[in-house]
Amino acid sequence: MKYLELTVGAALVYNFVLTRFLGICPFLGVSRQLSTAMGMSGAVVFVMTVASFCTSCIYNYLLKFTLRGKSIDLTFLQVLVFILVIAALVQVIEIVMQKATPGLYQALGIYLPLITTNCAVLGAATLNFNANRSILDATIFGCFSGIGFAIALLLFASLREKLELASPPKAFQGIPIGLITAGILAMAFVGFSGLC
Amino acid sequence: MDMDVIAGAVLLMGGAGILLGVVIALFARFFKTPSDARVDLVLELLPGANCGGCGKAGCADFARSVVSGENPPSRCPVSSVEQVNAIAMALGITAGTQGRKRAVVRCGGDTLQVADKVNYNGVADCVTASLVTGGPKGCRYGCLGLGSCVNVCPFGAIEIVNNLALVHRELCVGCGKCVDVCPRGVISLVNAEAEVHVYCNSPEKAPEKRKVCKVGCIGCRKCAKYAPDKFTIEGFLASVNYEAQVLPVREDLDNIKCPTGALLSAEEHHYIEKHNPAWEKSEK
Amino acid sequence: MNRLKSFKGGIHPEYDGKSLTCERASVDTPLLEKYYVLLAENAGRPPLPCVAKGDKVKKYQLIAEHDGFVSADLHAPTSGEVTGIVKISGPLGIPADAIEIAADGYDHGDAPFDILENWQSEESALLMERIRAAGIVGMGGAAFPSHVKLTVPPGKKVDTLIINGAECEPFLTADHRMMVEYPQKVVTGAAIMGKILNVSNVIIGVEENKLDAVTALTQQGSELNVKVETLRVRYPQGSEKQLIFALTERVVPSGGLPADAGCVVQNAASAAAVYDAVLLGIPLVERIVTVTGDVVKNPGNFRMKIGTPLMEGIKWAGGVTEEPGKLILGGPMMGLAQRSFNVPVTKNTSGILLLSVGQALNFSDSPCIRCGRCVGACPMKLEPCLLCSFVEGGRFDLARKGHVMDCLECGACAYVCPSHRPLVQQFRRAKSELRKKK
Repeated sequence: MKYLELTVGAALVYNFVLTRFLGICPFLGVSRQLSTAMGMSGAVVFVMTVASFCTSCIYNYLLKFTLRGKSIDLTFLQVLVFILVIAALVQVIEIVMQKATPGLYQALGIYLPLITTNCAVLGAATLNFNANRSILDATIFGCFSGIGFAIALLLFASLREKLELASPPKAFQGIPIGLITAGILAMAFVGFSGLC
Repeated sequence: MDMDVIAGAVLLMGGAGILLGVVIALFARFFKTPSDARVDLVLELLPGANCGGCGKAGCADFARSVVSGENPPSRCPVSSVEQVNAIAMALGITAGTQGRKRAVVRCGGDTLQVADKVNYNGVADCVTASLVTGGPKGCRYGCLGLGSCVNVCPFGAIEIVNNLALVHRELCVGCGKCVDVCPRGVISLVNAEAEVHVYCNSPEKAPEKRKVCKVGCIGCRKCAKYAPDKFTIEGFLASVNYEAQVLPVREDLDNIKCPTGALLSAEEHHYIEKHNPAWEKSEK
Repeated sequence: MNRLKSFKGGIHPEYDGKSLTCERASVDTPLLEKYYVLLAENAGRPPLPCVAKGDKVKKYQLIAEHDGFVSADLHAPTSGEVTGIVKISGPLGIPADAIEIAADGYDHGDAPFDILENWQSEESALLMERIRAAGIVGMGGAAFPSHVKLTVPPGKKVDTLIINGAECEPFLTADHRMMVEYPQKVVTGAAIMGKILNVSNVIIGVEENKLDAVTALTQQGSELNVKVETLRVRYPQGSEKQLIFALTERVVPSGGLPADAGCVVQNAASAAAVYDAVLLGIPLVERIVTVTGDVVKNPGNFRMKIGTPLMEGIKWAGGVTEEPGKLILGGPMMGLAQRSFNVPVTKNTSGILLLSVGQALNFSDSPCIRCGRCVGACPMKLEPCLLCSFVEGGRFDLARKGHVMDCLECGACAYVCPSHRPLVQQFRRAKSELRKKK
């Protein structure tokens, strides 16, 4: 039951984008084309998994430790440390991507560095922190949260590819009709509530 | 505050910072991608319109070609002279001498001047319409006025008035997208300094032209007689010699008195029905 | 009762206008003063004129010689003088070169080829050369030179010759009259082409609304082992791929030729022209043209010489009763709307159609309501509604993925569209755009 909540719950019921409304910036920014959305999804899944693992390690071993028989609580530093770790992770991924897939690197543009300050990634880490999860649980949660983000992004990107060909009234063209679509998509995801 | 907590916090943050810094540095070293700072510099100085007017895929592509020496900076049709010079200075090369160009629709035949030969009610797009019996306009060479050029212009410089495309000179940068899309080939890029143009594109014989159009050039040679170096005549079609040392100006028009009104200044082209002597005559 | 053969998809217009002319026997037309033989008549490269201004020509004389393999010879439709090679308004609405011939009024000339009475024992190559020399082209549609179609590409095996007597286009009855009046010509021509291809299976496909033609052809066909098959009335059955499926249930692959399905398809009128070339020794200079439409006074079928201006054809049909709304060369579905009455009859002009203003109604299109009727009507099983939105959005790459290149431009989708969307026009745009890119 716990794992159902960690997996299905993270991916669908409490979807980061459509239920928690975290990570809206890349959701709108890189959903023009399915191909770039796929690249972004892959990057986010990876960053979220690894970030959850790292932050959970830090949380469990480094923020609370016993020194000279005294227990020291550094949890007030959590946001700072998490941001530091996530930023470093994203930097590493960016460097690797620039070398390995320059095309995707170009296509993602500014949104790749923006994962650094992506509230979805920090949100996953903070939620793990609040729920007091073990390292394994936190990693699973991070991974499936990322998958949830990917589901939402890919769904939205394929819808927007269709929207490109539609001819809505002029006032609705572009982002407005995209936001309306996102709203309807979010409403559809409410249907998952109560699943676990 | 406990000193241990402070020491721990300093240790944690400092240690994490140093450790992650080292990791990033290592990655940056092993996955180093050669990048040319000059390209980024040029890219910064370019307008970033990504119009493709230079013939490259976009501004980044053009920046690379400038750095590699394939194109002179002046190849960018959007940048002003100052911007081009800035790029040239930054790279320490010459700006190149390619003059700035501007699009001109060589047709004055709006709905008031040219009768539509057929009743067309298909797709409102010049390229598509031209596939049906060559397009609806009475003149086979004139502007169809269905706005394919308007749709491709990245600068919003073209407007359709009375089924005739008009170029707003102040907005046009001469990227040439409209030239490529026009199925009639009625738009051309000419010297941006030119004030006066011959608004006719039809090589047909004068009587044929007169049958369908009130403002078509009839090849009367009045303009060429007035200033042989400023105008050239081919068959029944005059054109401004854009290579000329001195381009014709608005004042020349009063002396030439073009009988059909095909020779106009760009401003007059926007109010063609008001400036056309032939049209005024037939109204009376 | 057995269900008649047909293909899947397609449409059947409620009013097909064939009753206007299907009973009208073809009649000869008087000699005109001038004929304009278009050079770019056939698909492929236009032939090169081999006469000059001032030359005297006899009827049937070669006036333009084929240029390359995919090109067809042209012959003088009457005797007289060549008055020049002029630019006239062509069927595509753009000026085209034409040989202008001023008739001398005698209309004389000898058959230029010797008569091959015993064609059954002649060499295939000789018969083939005759078809080429007679300038025979596909007289139903694209005017593709017949000898090219009869040349099976290497590596392909053909076992069936199909003669297209479907004439599925509404209003047209030229092929119908040809089959009723000259069944022997059609059948013999078919048998000759069967001999060239060395196939024993020769089928003439005729739609059910031409039962008199079926009867006439069956009588003649039994002797020469030419089968006649009755087909369910369905548009566009006259399209090669659809006819092949209807008669043999074989499918021509996307982008493939009929030979990929082991078939060669020839038009019924072309078969009759083959008969003329082989057994009468005369080239193709005349064809039956249906002049019809609801505003034509006396619609009918006329044997017109190639090069006759459309205006004359309309005059022979008694002119018009009211101001016509549209002039179409060919049928209403795939014919080409014309902007001039001076366009001449070509080898593939099967009809001259004048529609009233009411019938050529100025449809205005409205947005797609996604009803999917076009999908059901498409004989090529494409998704016209989707393709149209791709083209409108400028996504020609997606249109290519959606197989827009397989579109026949039959117009079935646009016919059934309740929003009157100009689907075919959009596809033509996409096709021309994609061809440019290649």
